[in-house]
Amino acid sequence: MRIEIDWTRCDGHGLCAALMPQRIRRDEWGFPLIDSVGLDQRESAAVRRVVAACPALALRIAHDQPQPVARA
Amino acid sequence: MTAVTDRAAASRAVPAGTVMPAGTVMAAGTVMPVSPITAWSIGAPRLLAGLDRAERVDHVTHTAIHGALPATDNAHLLGLLDASALYGRGGAGFAFARKLRSLAGPATRVVVNGAESEPASRKDRALLTRVPHLVLDGAISVGRAVEAREITVAVHDAAAYSSLARAVQERTEATRVQIVRVDGGFVGGEEHALLRGLAGDTSIPAGRRRPVSADGVLLSNVETFAQLAVLLRRGPHRFADTGTRDEPGTTLVTVGGAVARPGVVEIPLGTPLGILMTAAGAAPAQAVVIGGYHGSWLPPAGEIALNRAGVAAAGGTFGAGVVLVVGADTCALGELGRIAHWLAAQSARQCGPCHFGLPALATDVEALYRGTAPALAAAFGHARAVDGRGACRHPDGAARFVTSGLHLLQDEIDAHLRGGCGRPLLRQLPMGGHR
Repeated sequence: MRIEIDWTRCDGHGLCAALMPQRIRRDEWGFPLIDSVGLDQRESAAVRRVVAACPALALRIAHDQPQPVARA
Repeated sequence: MTAVTDRAAASRAVPAGTVMPAGTVMAAGTVMPVSPITAWSIGAPRLLAGLDRAERVDHVTHTAIHGALPATDNAHLLGLLDASALYGRGGAGFAFARKLRSLAGPATRVVVNGAESEPASRKDRALLTRVPHLVLDGAISVGRAVEAREITVAVHDAAAYSSLARAVQERTEATRVQIVRVDGGFVGGEEHALLRGLAGDTSIPAGRRRPVSADGVLLSNVETFAQLAVLLRRGPHRFADTGTRDEPGTTLVTVGGAVARPGVVEIPLGTPLGILMTAAGAAPAQAVVIGGYHGSWLPPAGEIALNRAGVAAAGGTFGAGVVLVVGADTCALGELGRIAHWLAAQSARQCGPCHFGLPALATDVEALYRGTAPALAAAFGHARAVDGRGACRHPDGAARFVTSGLHLLQDEIDAHLRGGCGRPLLRQLPMGGHR
C-alpha cells in the first residue's frame, strides 16, 4: 500500500502532513514528502482519513508499484 | 502553407568549391525557407539512404531504393520484433514489442510522435522532411497490424507538415493518414500532453500516470516507425548485421555544440563517441551532453559506446540521441546555468515541486557561476526535492541534467568560487529559441 499524489492537483495545503506527521513531512514550499515504506494494513484507517481530508482531492491509495511513465 | 520546392535555390545553398567529407549528404533547402537539416551517416545509411541523390526522397525514389512495402499482420510484426529488438527512439527506450502487446483490445489509434520537443534534437524533422515515406511505411504497417481506426502523425513545424502532406498525396494506398501540427513546449512531447494537444487542449501532461496503451493508443516516436519500415524489409537477420547484439541496427543522433558539422547522423548502434566527434569535427572538448536536456553531462571519453547500454555504463542516458560537445573554450558552468534556467522556464507549472524547485535549482547554479555563494549543497538538495515529484518526467530529467553537470564540473565550481574560470560564456549549447 502506498499513497499516490496527483501533483497537478496538490496545492500544498498541508492537511495530510498535519494528520499523519509520522509519515508525511512538507518540503520548503509546503508540498508533501510521503514515506510509504512499509506502510501496512494497521495504518489503513489513518491513510484513508488523510486521503479523504485533502481539500484538492490530490491523494489516493495505490496498491501497485509506481506506474512507469513511457515517453514516446 | 504553400509548398515550394526550389532546387536551384537548394543547390545555391552549398557554396561553390565546398568539399564535403565522404558519405556526407548536404541538406538542401527542401520545402520551407528555414535552415536546412544536414544529414549524413557513418557506415551504410538505412534510414537516410537515397539522400546522396535527392534532397527529399519521393515515393518513386523511395520504392526504387527500398522496394515495395511488405504486407504484415500483428503476428508477423510481433515475430519480427521478438527476433530483433526495437526500442522506442523518443527517449524512454520502451521496447516496441511490449508496447504492441500492452494494447488493451484492438487499437483505436496509431500516433506517430513528431513533436520533437527536445530543443537540440533534429532527427525527427530530418526524417519527416527528407525521407517521409519510411515514416509513413512504418505507421501504415503498424496501423494494419493492429487494425487501427486512425493513423495520426503529430509534427512540430511547417516544413515537416508540408513534406508529409506531399508524401501522403504521392502514395496510392487507401489508408487515411491524418497530419496534425502541435505546438507544445519541452513537456508537450510527453505522450499524454501530445494526446491532449491533438484533441485541441493545452499540451500539458496529465495528472494520472496511466499508460496510453490502456486506452487503445499505440504511440511512438517518428524514428521508431521509420526503423520498423527498415525491419519489415530487411527481416531480423539482416536488420542485425550492424549495431550490437542487444541493440541491433542503426540510430539517428543529432550532433551539435562545438562541432564543425552539426546535423543529424545515422550511426550503427554502439559506435564509439570518439568516432562521431571526429567525423563531426568536434573542437577540443571539456564535456559532452548526451541525451539532451533530460540527459547527462559526461567526460568527452572517446570510448563511450553510443547506444542505451553504452551510455548507461558511462553513467548517463542515451535518450533521443542528442550529442552536444562543450568546447574547452567556453565557461561550462555558465552553459549549465543557462540550460538550468531554460529547463525551469519549460515547466508547465502544474506541479508544485517542479514549479518552485526548478527555478530554485537554477538560481543555485547561477550563484555557483557568480561565485557568490557556496550553493553546491543547496543545488543537490533542490535536485533531490524535485526528483520524481511531478506528473511527468520533466523534473526528474532536469534534476539529472543539472546534478550530472555539477558532479562533472567540480573544478569549474571551485574556480568560480575563487573568482572565475577565465573563459567567456560562448552559448554553445543550443536553446531551441524558435519554440
